[in-house]
Amino acid sequence: MNAFIQNKKPLSLITLAILGALLSGCSGDAETIIIEREPIVEDDHDDGHDHSGEPGGGGDITIESLGRIAVLSSEASALAIMDIDDGAMLDEFSLSDSSAALYASPDNRYAVISMRSMDTTDFIDGGLWREDHTDHLHDYKQAPQMSDFSVNGSRPTHIGTYDGQMTIFYDGDAEAGVPAGVKVLTDENIAAESDTLPTLEFTMNMHGVAKSRGDILVSTVRREDSESTSNAKILPDQVGIYHWHDGEYQLEQVLATPCPDLHGAAENEDYIAFGCGDSVLVTHQHDDEFESVKIDNIAEIDGLRVGTIYGHENSALFFGIASSRATDERAMVSINPENNTMKIVEWRSEAGADPVAYSFSGDGDTFVILDNLGFVAKYVLHEHNGELEFEFESAIGVSNEDISAMPEGHNFSMTMSQNDEHLYIADPIAQHILQIDLTEMSIEDDIELDIIPSRLVWLGIAKTSDHNSDDHD
Amino acid sequence: MRKLSKVAALVCAALSMPAVAQTIEGTVATSQGKPIVGAKVELEGLGLQVLTDAKGNFLFEDVKEGKNEIHVSAQGFTHLHEDVDVLSSTPSKITFTLSKSPIEVIDVIASPIHLSSMESAIPVHVLGGEALRRDQAATLGDSLEQLPGVHTSFHAKVASTPIIRGLSGPRVLIAQNGLDVSDVSRVGPDHAVTSEASTAQQIEVLRGPATLFYGSGAIGGVVNVVDQRVPTSNDTKGEWLLETSSVDKQKLGSFNATIGAGDFAFYADGFFRDSDDYNVPVAPELELEDDDHGHEGEGEGEDKKHGKNFKVANSSEKSSGFTVGTSYLLDNGYVGVSVEQYNREYGIPGHSHEDEEGHGDEEGHEHGEEGHSDEEVFADLEQTKIQFLSKLSVRDSIISGFNTRIGYTDYEHAEVENSEVGTNFKNETFEARVEVIHQSFWGFNGGVSFHYKKSDVEAQGSEAFTPPSETEMFAVALMEERHIGDVLLQFGARTERVTLTADRVLLPSLDAHEHDDRHMDEDGHDHEDGHDHEHEDVHGGDASIIRTFYAEHEFTPVSVSLGALWDFTPGYNLGLSISRSQRAPSASELLSFGPHIGTRTYEVGALFALEQHDGIDEIGLTDEIIDLETASNIDLSFRKTQGHIGFIFNVFYNQVDNYYYQIDTGLFADDGHNHGDEEGHEDEHGGELPVFIFQTDDVILNGFEAQIAWQVNDTFNTTVFSDFVRARLKNGGNLPRTPPFRFGTQLSYETETISAHLDITRYQAQERISAFETETDGYTLVDLHADYTLPYFNESMAVYFKGENLSDTEARVHTSFLKDLAPRPGRNFTVGIKGYF
Repeated sequence: MNAFIQNKKPLSLITLAILGALLSGCSGDAETIIIEREPIVEDDHDDGHDHSGEPGGGGDITIESLGRIAVLSSEASALAIMDIDDGAMLDEFSLSDSSAALYASPDNRYAVISMRSMDTTDFIDGGLWREDHTDHLHDYKQAPQMSDFSVNGSRPTHIGTYDGQMTIFYDGDAEAGVPAGVKVLTDENIAAESDTLPTLEFTMNMHGVAKSRGDILVSTVRREDSESTSNAKILPDQVGIYHWHDGEYQLEQVLATPCPDLHGAAENEDYIAFGCGDSVLVTHQHDDEFESVKIDNIAEIDGLRVGTIYGHENSALFFGIASSRATDERAMVSINPENNTMKIVEWRSEAGADPVAYSFSGDGDTFVILDNLGFVAKYVLHEHNGELEFEFESAIGVSNEDISAMPEGHNFSMTMSQNDEHLYIADPIAQHILQIDLTEMSIEDDIELDIIPSRLVWLGIAKTSDHNSDDHD
Repeated sequence: MRKLSKVAALVCAALSMPAVAQTIEGTVATSQGKPIVGAKVELEGLGLQVLTDAKGNFLFEDVKEGKNEIHVSAQGFTHLHEDVDVLSSTPSKITFTLSKSPIEVIDVIASPIHLSSMESAIPVHVLGGEALRRDQAATLGDSLEQLPGVHTSFHAKVASTPIIRGLSGPRVLIAQNGLDVSDVSRVGPDHAVTSEASTAQQIEVLRGPATLFYGSGAIGGVVNVVDQRVPTSNDTKGEWLLETSSVDKQKLGSFNATIGAGDFAFYADGFFRDSDDYNVPVAPELELEDDDHGHEGEGEGEDKKHGKNFKVANSSEKSSGFTVGTSYLLDNGYVGVSVEQYNREYGIPGHSHEDEEGHGDEEGHEHGEEGHSDEEVFADLEQTKIQFLSKLSVRDSIISGFNTRIGYTDYEHAEVENSEVGTNFKNETFEARVEVIHQSFWGFNGGVSFHYKKSDVEAQGSEAFTPPSETEMFAVALMEERHIGDVLLQFGARTERVTLTADRVLLPSLDAHEHDDRHMDEDGHDHEDGHDHEHEDVHGGDASIIRTFYAEHEFTPVSVSLGALWDFTPGYNLGLSISRSQRAPSASELLSFGPHIGTRTYEVGALFALEQHDGIDEIGLTDEIIDLETASNIDLSFRKTQGHIGFIFNVFYNQVDNYYYQIDTGLFADDGHNHGDEEGHEDEHGGELPVFIFQTDDVILNGFEAQIAWQVNDTFNTTVFSDFVRARLKNGGNLPRTPPFRFGTQLSYETETISAHLDITRYQAQERISAFETETDGYTLVDLHADYTLPYFNESMAVYFKGENLSDTEARVHTSFLKDLAPRPGRNFTVGIKGYF
């Protein structure tokens, strides 16, 4: 065979380099998204046994606890987790942004820290949660801990929770050319650190809001400026119905009624309400379609617009805050989405008081307003002359301090327990949290703090699956 | 039976033309100088091949100047790789000398690099020709089990699939002409492979770099069943076969044929097989309950004395298939399409409820046939397979050819129980693969493959243990080889994106509980009192809530394989291969939640996890990250390829991280059948299955295969072989259903008219077992095959005889899910007649 030249060239360096890179540098990747859907409930076939003690059936492992409170201190850039049962601080975590907003996760397990300016939302596990193991409930009590998980997006602004889901609305950034978007997550997502969450992406930025109901996402839609009926074009003027299907949100419907200068939204079991420049837009699902109607602003709030709405799954009424940026004037209204009426709610307050926080109670029967003088007013949903309304019941002062001593940039804040009739109010001057019995409207206990509280949120195991649907600014 | 491509035919015809410059001309001869007729000479990288004529001559025309790589192969001879320098002025005249090979070497078809059992860095095995006809069985697993390193999952003869080096299921990819068979055999041992050996041309078992064009799931290997359904030649040829067997009264008829008309070629094949329940030498069911009490020995002894005729109930099978194909032959290749209809109806042994109730049965030994007949379960399977195959070579400075494969399969099988469809399994798959083969660059031959596959799989019904899911995959793979002196380098790389979506993953409230009676009873028979068991309350009670999830997984597995083969001295070579391959877990491994009668377990996927809190077991979503399975493999082979004695020794070490496997939770759950209406509580007890959950751990598999062949003279050949695999968890413990150590011998006698083979194979006992297994005894099988070519009809017909398990031994297969219910068939005699044209 010596007539033929055999190739004796050494293996070239480049070949070796390629092979080396191929063998060493490659590492695969795996991502998982799990989204819990509505469970299927089946009646058990035959046996005729007694269904004793539902829902807390035989093997339930439950924990008796008043819960925990996450306290945010902007001054200390820290978040403390307090144990309500013994008033002890369980742990303190430092935060990278002192202007963070604080929420509870949909099932109240995590403290949700949203840092708009940093385009990120972080989570701290409060350590108290319940798992439904289908044949029984299982409660867990662990030390709080910072989650490695964070959800990123441009300008997370409106965050709301409803029925186990949290919707984060990302306003986007016109200057950077980043469009708005929505992400929907559950406590399971946070626990599983799901990299990919159900996400809706728009083509334009907007200061919008979205509400999730299972597979359905009802979100604001911003049109081209030339078509938009909004005065401030960054505010959307339409509402779209999106359906989660094949791994994406698909736009199924745009509500026929426009809602110029849309800002603020809330939902209850049947309805979703949006604040428009001139009215409140109410929509609800009828068969497969969403029907919508506008409740025009009543004469009493002329010159104002409803820009913030509170709702609760069990509350037939929405609570709206009408205001004007120009005049700083404010009014409160109840909105009845069933008969499409709007009515003024009289706020009883001391002179010079300004409301600083609003909240439905855990069961949705009560609505409270906290003001900057340390008074909390309680309203109950009550039928009066055949008409449902927020009826003022009582108010108490919760602070004996000199209000002028309020630290700069601070105010009273509150959070509602989701497992009993307790309201917790943080007093930055006294540096404590007061536990208020909401039924009696009496101060029961206090929790001393080492930090100056700026916001707080209740964490723990909710009594039922009811959830607030507050819409915070 | 040789194929002669259109290209080859043209080139052969040109042999008489005067030689001009830029041709390669030569002769292929034996070492004694005798010309070899019909040897295949191939220009590597170009895909051009010719066969030598009656004088052993061949010719390539219009060959590019410079170095050309040539590969020469012929049946019974070792293959040869040579570099030929073509000069513009001098015509090249070469003689290639091939040595006799005692081990038959068959090339893998349609691979951009050369693969055969002797010539690749990692051993591949090809079963073809007469050996395939000898070993072919009703199932793919049973057909391949004679190959070193390959065992069968022996599922009572009806649904066996191959186990390669201890790996099977989703880790072994099964392909038909390079495209996924797309059945559901990867998800359940009772599901048959929809590929037929009796009409196949050859079956290839690939490992290492070669698998990367097929799919990265193939950590264990690829089994590719090759036939001529898209014909590559318009020659008229074919074969047919008729046989009948005694052990199961099987009748088999099959044929395949190719004819041509002008540039068109046509193909058809068909088969029909019908078998009854098969005979076994002992009572098929092993009394499992208390091994140490030795019940089973006594029971069978008595039965045997009574001379009972034992059968494995519900193991009958009836299948048929028909394929037609056509292709257009071009000067530079072919384009063709084929359609296959495949039907199979088979019993699923171990499915009857009496079996499940076995341990509740007082006597334990009276498992008569009558008991099963009323509730037999069988699978009715149907598949339509459309394949478009094309191979085109092009004249281009960069690309030398395209191999295109596009397939569509529509699979469905119904598991029928009491004449009612229990569960319907469906798999609809579209697959497309294009291989771009490049011209030889700096000595590199190879190509790039682009591969897309989309499968919709669902299982609806009472045993819908895996929810409907859709898997979509896109992959890019590279395969290259290069000769550097005496060393052949082969490497492959593949990356893919696999998306698995399931809209409704169910997490039912599991009525799971421990079986105190089972674990604690001193005497395995005393179950009466256990019936009023304390878990009644678990059975009844609350309305059940099924949690439902949407699950989406996106995997990006990356696999790399590198091999080197060194011909360090003439007639010997040394191969080394290292690879790292990643596999995305399958839908059934992740999402399952339900009773799976095929494995007689209640299966729970890796998406879920068992937690224990205060002594209460519960299954919830797992906290673990669902990750890829990663295998790192080292493979070393040493071969003697020439002379009267040849051998192949392989040793391998395979570490699989994050290996998905099932463990026994110790819990029991309802089997999903409605028992309640018949007999009330007693049935509840029988209709329970052990709960097995998928979890991941790091495992190590290592072992060897050895094959030594001695060509005593022209007619006698003797081969001894052995294989072994040890499969264990890194943290201690064994993997279940690991093949036992095996060794055997084959004595062959072949003349022009008579061919006889005596196989003796010893399977050792398997004592390395996982926690929920039992040990399996060893056994020895003796098989005899003999062919006699009839001296009529131009010697185109042969009669044959097969005698299998001649000693009528009880052989329980450790790798089988049914080892305690269905041993191998007893003594079997087969007679048949076959012909060629």
